[in-house]
Amino acid sequence: MASDKAKPCELNQEKYDADDNVKIICLGDSAVGKSKLMERFLMDGFRPQQLSTYALTLYKHTATVDGKTVLVDFWDTAGQERFQSMHASYYHKAHACIMVFDVQRKVTYKNLSTWYTELREFRPEIPCIVVANKIDADIKMTQRSFNFARKFSLPLYFVSAADGTNVVKLFNDAIRLAVSYKHNSRDFMDEVLQELENFDLEQKEEEVPDRVQRGNIESPSPS
Amino acid sequence: MHFLYFFKVYVRMMCTAKKCGIRFQPPAIILIYENEMKGKSRQRIMPVRNFSKFSDCNRAAEQLKNNPRHKNYLEQVSLRQLEKLFSFLRGYLWGQSLAETMEQIQRETTIDPEEDLNKLDDKELAKRKSIMDELFEKNQKKKDDPNFIYDIEVEFPQDEQLQSCGWDTESADEF
Repeated sequence: MASDKAKPCELNQEKYDADDNVKIICLGDSAVGKSKLMERFLMDGFRPQQLSTYALTLYKHTATVDGKTVLVDFWDTAGQERFQSMHASYYHKAHACIMVFDVQRKVTYKNLSTWYTELREFRPEIPCIVVANKIDADIKMTQRSFNFARKFSLPLYFVSAADGTNVVKLFNDAIRLAVSYKHNSRDFMDEVLQELENFDLEQKEEEVPDRVQRGNIESPSPS
Repeated sequence: MHFLYFFKVYVRMMCTAKKCGIRFQPPAIILIYENEMKGKSRQRIMPVRNFSKFSDCNRAAEQLKNNPRHKNYLEQVSLRQLEKLFSFLRGYLWGQSLAETMEQIQRETTIDPEEDLNKLDDKELAKRKSIMDELFEKNQKKKDDPNFIYDIEVEFPQDEQLQSCGWDTESADEF
């Protein structure tokens, strides 16, 4: 456990409970352009953090929604999508999802259903945007209907990370949706989890008088 | 001495590449170029040395392009084209037909839209990504471009009677 001590606390997801923090996750197959979209939106402002232990790349962004500052963490996959499944912690506390496919590759569209099923397993209510990327490669695809989005009543955005079409709009809308989700509709799962946490807390307080112990189960014991 | 120096610069500026090909036996890259001063086509034969059927075409192309004796002439010939020519030579050394080599090059430089890239290992995935990056870079509007716009919004209404993308199945249960 000694090595754990040197590692900074990389992923404290508690912060996503704070009012001004939102977490937005990206989903989709390998090479659909998830990272390229992130980079186009953030331009020079991006400084991704590679969290290899969690197989993810984190992009931090500060936005202003209705005059209020919002700290946004964008979670991007780092190869784990190849297993067509993400770790549960990837979905944990997420407030919105951006789900991407490549208009040049049918298989990436077909796989949306797998991604969507997994997303709803963990986050049944969060807003989700379907993104048709790479329209610069085949603009005719913007004149086609895509039933997947229609079937689940999800918004569909036609974008191009290369020429920039609708990229900024996509991310700004996603942030807005994440914020409004967080403030307005409390997810049933969130409430259950909150209840459980409170329950846990009460119990712990009874059992362990020393409150410092609580929540530190995984930290290295002082040697 | 001065005269020679200027002459070299002159050659570099005035050499216009017309065609570039490969000869198998003995192996050589052949460039047809025009010397504008004289207005007539010239041919330059650049022998290929130390190339076997196990050689790396990309490396061979880079070496030739950076060869001090040839680099001025090859300035207008892309690395990709040279690499392709070396691929032809390699195919020939393996005893492949021209058609087979063409097919192989096609496979290695284009994306099979049916292929599930989730199933590839890192190296193969990186190859596909670099092929895709080529188109990306070609279509990319960069920040330094004079007419770069950060926020471009284009509406693509989905509510009309649009033709189906063709990727949805007929059954109502599936999308």
